[in-house]
Amino acid sequence: MSERKTGVYLCSGCGIGEAVAMDELETVAVKEFKAPHCAQHAMLCGEEGVETIRADLAEGKVNQLVIGACSPRVMTDRFQFDNAQVIRANLRELVSWSHAPGDEDTQAAAADYVRMAITQASKTTAPEPWIEGEYSQRIMVVGGGSTGLMAAREAAEAGHEVLLVERSDRLGGHARGYAKVIPHRPPYRDPQPNDIEALIAAVENDPLITVKTNCHVTKTSGMPGKFQVELANGAGPSNETVGAIVVATGWRPYDPSKLGHLGYGVSPDVVTNVELEKILAAGQPKRPSNGQAPKAVAFIQCAGSRDPDHLPYCSSVCCASSIKQALQLVEADPECSTYIVYDELRTPGVAEEFYRSAQAKGVIFLKGKVKSVGANLTVVVDDALIGEEVPLEGLDMVVLATGMVPNTTIPDLPYENSEYAAAQLQADINPLSPIPVAGYQGEAPAPLPRPADNPPPGAPILNLQYRQGPHIPMLADGFSDSHYICFPYETRRTGIYTCGPVRRPMDMGEAAEDAAGAVMKAVQVVRNAAKGASVHPRSGDLSFPRIGYNTCTKCRRCTVECPFGAIDEDEKEYPVVNPTRCRRCGTCMGACPVRTISFDNYSVEMISSMIKAVEVPDEFEEKPRVLILACENDAYPALDMAGINRHTYSPHVRVIPVRCLGSVSLVWISTALESGYDGIVLMGCKPGDDYQCHFVKGSAMAKERMGKIADTLKSMALETERVAQMEVSIAESHKIGPMIDDYMATIDRIGLSPLKGF
Amino acid sequence: MTATSPTPRKKYDLNFARWVYENVDGGDRMAKCMQCGTCSGSCPIGDQMDYGPRKLFMMIRAGMKEAVLTSNTIWNCVSCYNCVVRCPRQVPVTYILHDLAALAVKEGYAEAKTADNARFAKAFWWSAQKWGRTDERLVTMKYYFSTGIGDGIKKGMANQKIAMAMVKTKRMHLTMPHKVKGTKELQAILAKAHEIEERGNNGQ
Repeated sequence: MSERKTGVYLCSGCGIGEAVAMDELETVAVKEFKAPHCAQHAMLCGEEGVETIRADLAEGKVNQLVIGACSPRVMTDRFQFDNAQVIRANLRELVSWSHAPGDEDTQAAAADYVRMAITQASKTTAPEPWIEGEYSQRIMVVGGGSTGLMAAREAAEAGHEVLLVERSDRLGGHARGYAKVIPHRPPYRDPQPNDIEALIAAVENDPLITVKTNCHVTKTSGMPGKFQVELANGAGPSNETVGAIVVATGWRPYDPSKLGHLGYGVSPDVVTNVELEKILAAGQPKRPSNGQAPKAVAFIQCAGSRDPDHLPYCSSVCCASSIKQALQLVEADPECSTYIVYDELRTPGVAEEFYRSAQAKGVIFLKGKVKSVGANLTVVVDDALIGEEVPLEGLDMVVLATGMVPNTTIPDLPYENSEYAAAQLQADINPLSPIPVAGYQGEAPAPLPRPADNPPPGAPILNLQYRQGPHIPMLADGFSDSHYICFPYETRRTGIYTCGPVRRPMDMGEAAEDAAGAVMKAVQVVRNAAKGASVHPRSGDLSFPRIGYNTCTKCRRCTVECPFGAIDEDEKEYPVVNPTRCRRCGTCMGACPVRTISFDNYSVEMISSMIKAVEVPDEFEEKPRVLILACENDAYPALDMAGINRHTYSPHVRVIPVRCLGSVSLVWISTALESGYDGIVLMGCKPGDDYQCHFVKGSAMAKERMGKIADTLKSMALETERVAQMEVSIAESHKIGPMIDDYMATIDRIGLSPLKGF
Repeated sequence: MTATSPTPRKKYDLNFARWVYENVDGGDRMAKCMQCGTCSGSCPIGDQMDYGPRKLFMMIRAGMKEAVLTSNTIWNCVSCYNCVVRCPRQVPVTYILHDLAALAVKEGYAEAKTADNARFAKAFWWSAQKWGRTDERLVTMKYYFSTGIGDGIKKGMANQKIAMAMVKTKRMHLTMPHKVKGTKELQAILAKAHEIEERGNNGQ
């Protein structure tokens, strides 16, 4: 930008004009800030208003815009101009819709928002994207089972080249051995024909898809758009470049040899559901012991699932798969008696139709715990429905419905660097485990005891050459981590998406949808990476963290704390940003003790200046001032919603949106306290185990860092209540008013800040 | 109904359940019972039943034929239809219970337990088919004396006061029983209905 010419445009529509005196705001812009151009309009977002701005830009009157109107979250398409950066002051939701009209405090708030916006404009530049070298549009799919095949086909249909890597000698995975599958097409009543062979043929014949069997990934480095993948197969290593990676490594059955208590091993006629699947695929069902057609078969549900000694979770598909197998047995022989012994039958959604259909066809469902399975196949059930212990005698087969274990590693491949990898996994599994970095005061909190503190065995699937370790982050149960609520396919490693049972237990119908979802994400990332733009949640953001190496102290906080592993270390231990891995949350910026990390349009200095731009009343006015640093993903929208719903709250607060609470620098807290603010509130998402943070660890990081400043506050003779963290979800706008007013009552109680006027 | 229902040899022998699914009125829908217990929870006289309808249906599946057919559940249903209206799987519980009661009579289970309600139902039916109406005095008498003379007198004396009050307020009369016009035709209709039922049960 040549010379900065900031035009201030103030809109009096939507009730803003009735609530505040617009002329006084214009005075702030023109007199206080000497803005080169300032204009008022009754409806700035209308055609006429937008045209005015466009004309001023064309004339060269202005080249940067401050728009004082509605929330920055709305009318973004109206207030978007080529070659001009737009800064928004939220005078509608945060001022005129949430505070009393005509009041002097409302007026003061509006003036402060104008001051902050003009200050922000002076400290920001339009972001220059990072674009360097070649970008690959190719998508690698790891795993050639039904999920991987679907993913490959979806990606090819979207026009992308696909590299499909399968570890075994042929495609199809588990699904290849199924005669019929759980229905996922209407009317959902009968087992559905298995169309895996057609899918395999479609993939093999697709000119965009390259299939590599007997092959696994030995190393992955680089970043979205530029992943360097080293593959190993019989012929030796080979290298490929891909833009994004979809992991569909699926599942393996739970080891039935651990299920002796359910009779596995006492008779060849006690089989797992996986083994029965093979029997059913071979044609007419036969008992393994004597080859006769079974006349009475009992299925034992939750065999090793939902059991703290085995798999603690529900594998979700075993109920429907037992129903399917029972129906297949009944279809083969209508005289065959089938019993499904369950604890809780879980047939969500359309699977309920399947369950009904099985009942109508005479499959008997028995609720109760299995007491024992005898060598003569007598299953003793503590029958909860008739209230007595019942022996099921004369059975020909017993089927154990075993659960799914995710393939988040390659279990049979030995891995050398396992100690380091395990340590990394431990930290990933447990979001509250100590952060292994020096520098914070005091001890890190002790990790919570977790059921699965043992990471799964074997080699990492992708063997990521990342500072934060080789594995894809996973949960305590071994499934790959994902943001269940907002971004189910995310893995915390940008450009790498998991789908299918490696993410959570699911059947083939669900996995097909999952594959499509993950591929859509992969398509977004390869296309955005080439433009230097971020993917969700800050889709299209062109800024990226810039590190000032002259002041960097190599403390490693940014490399350790980045929730997405975007920052590696070079051989001199300096941080190296991989821009397309970055999601632009700013957690590195909040972490940096020397404040040398910044974005073109978001920096420690920018927010500090905005904090200082607010006019803080002196101690004699007896009016408090509270700074709210609100997460732009949840808390800020909730504040907007509070305004839309006309929930009122104290006009003494000033809100600054931040990218994530993780980006909050401690400097902002001290700046605010020095400027005489009476309180500082960090408003964001729920941290911890069931986090809602869009950037996974951001709010947990903020909590961790804020936990350390209590001591500092005490040493400054300040009350610890002056800095508070509040959790708000996007749906909790009704709580905003009471929360803020409660906090204001606290400030009233502890009194105004003693630092005013210094 | 085919001649007689099969008797299971072990728990969860499905021969009786399958017979009920096929032969009892509403049995095909009973197969879809998912044991939620809404019927038992809705039943106004559930606490006067040996088992609620939910458990009774599971006992049918479990092959507990004798316990099912000798239970008072099938007789104590007052046909309020609460369960039928509320059943999420549209099981016609009331029809099933009544048909099971008929089965119990037919296969001799009701007599075996000398079921109270079965005896009352018989007295009621005796009056209904004879005169086309129920005569309170005679139905009561027949029911009271169905367990023996001494028992009948005892029960009659115990309810003497109520009987006198009913006579006084003309809720019960002491003259000849009232009847419908054309009792002969009514009996012919009932005979025909019985014949049709028998024919239907012979597989036609």
